[in-house]
Amino acid sequence: MPDWVRVRRESFGLLFYDTRSTRLTFVRSGDNLGSPPFTGPRRVLRVCPLDEGRGPAVSRLLRNLAAKGLIVAAEP
Amino acid sequence: MLPSLSNTRLRAPVNVTWEITETCNLRCTHCLAAELWAQRRGELDLGQCRALIDELARMEVFQVNFGGGEPFLRDDFLDILRYAHSRGITTCVSTNGTVLNDALVDELLRMAPVYLQVSLDGAHVETNDVIRGRGTFTRIIAGIELLSERAYPDFSLNMVVTRLNVGEIADFDRLARHYGAKTRLSRFRPSGAGCGTWKDYRLTRDQLLELSAFLGAHPEILTGDSFFALTPDSRRELGLNMCGAAKMTCAVAPDGSVYPCAFLCHRDFLAGNVTAEPLSAIFRYSPVLERFRELEVETCRACDRFAVCHGGCPAVARFLTQSMGLPDPECLRTAVSAKEVA
Repeated sequence: MPDWVRVRRESFGLLFYDTRSTRLTFVRSGDNLGSPPFTGPRRVLRVCPLDEGRGPAVSRLLRNLAAKGLIVAAEP
Repeated sequence: MLPSLSNTRLRAPVNVTWEITETCNLRCTHCLAAELWAQRRGELDLGQCRALIDELARMEVFQVNFGGGEPFLRDDFLDILRYAHSRGITTCVSTNGTVLNDALVDELLRMAPVYLQVSLDGAHVETNDVIRGRGTFTRIIAGIELLSERAYPDFSLNMVVTRLNVGEIADFDRLARHYGAKTRLSRFRPSGAGCGTWKDYRLTRDQLLELSAFLGAHPEILTGDSFFALTPDSRRELGLNMCGAAKMTCAVAPDGSVYPCAFLCHRDFLAGNVTAEPLSAIFRYSPVLERFRELEVETCRACDRFAVCHGGCPAVARFLTQSMGLPDPECLRTAVSAKEVA
């Protein structure tokens, strides 16, 4: 997670907040993504074990989040 | 990707408006908080403020919007800002700009980004000074110049739009750009001192329509979702398009009292006090806030603009009609005519 992004878990999935723009992004991710701690170093957004067939949708979601600057790719 | 916000219940506010002090050096004729501050109910001390910030961090509240009063008149305010940043909370300060000086601006620049909203109620001295007090335009501009000279990265000039200054919006926007600031327009509401000046300051129907058209043509202008009752379709994607009180936000008064929003700091809407119970419990379980979350303006459901405003601002409806279940009286569809206002 970039330093400028906060994220928290909500009933629908994850709620992202970009501190640079104060914009919110509601992500209907269900239980597919695990939220990192609110603050602190090395915050990582984790992909939870997926049901069969959910992989492509979650990949698209991650690409969208990366395009918005809400996540950055990390080495495994 | 977007769930329907009107049907979504968040487990905590996204942002909290915190009126951190009762103290102010100005007496603005539209001040939303004038009535409350006159009661002098006291302020949270620094320890209580830190405890509330800890609670906000536990709740994972993203942003605190500090107001007052004039926040920078509180001696320990910079300590409060620093502590909020240390807990990962973004801060925005609404200031009247008259107390900004070199040392203060330099200190703010050293902190994590602090969004500053400087209040100025006209593009011209004559207009602003009628509302904010004689001599204030010059003093506010001096504060703005300090921010501009240092290329302060995140500041806006905020004007509460009234009948006195609505004709100056374009000039105001040019003034803000001149100083490297964003333009922010806020809605005038009949709250606090605004109850007394409502009749003279409220916009006529024609002015409301002109303002709506102006906002539609200028998506870059910030409104803090003030104007959703007259949001043009072209701004639909820019904001919540609904009242966020008790759903996305709530307000904390200087003494720790909690209300649905800063415009409803009235005893009828007191949800609790953070000195008596945690904010998280107040937000989740207060009957006052729950009533707000369940509020539906049924008479608006058939309107073709319902998706854009969801009935508008309950605070304006409450103060003008004594009911929150009625449509926003300044809705584009129902606004009274200029003749009726006069």
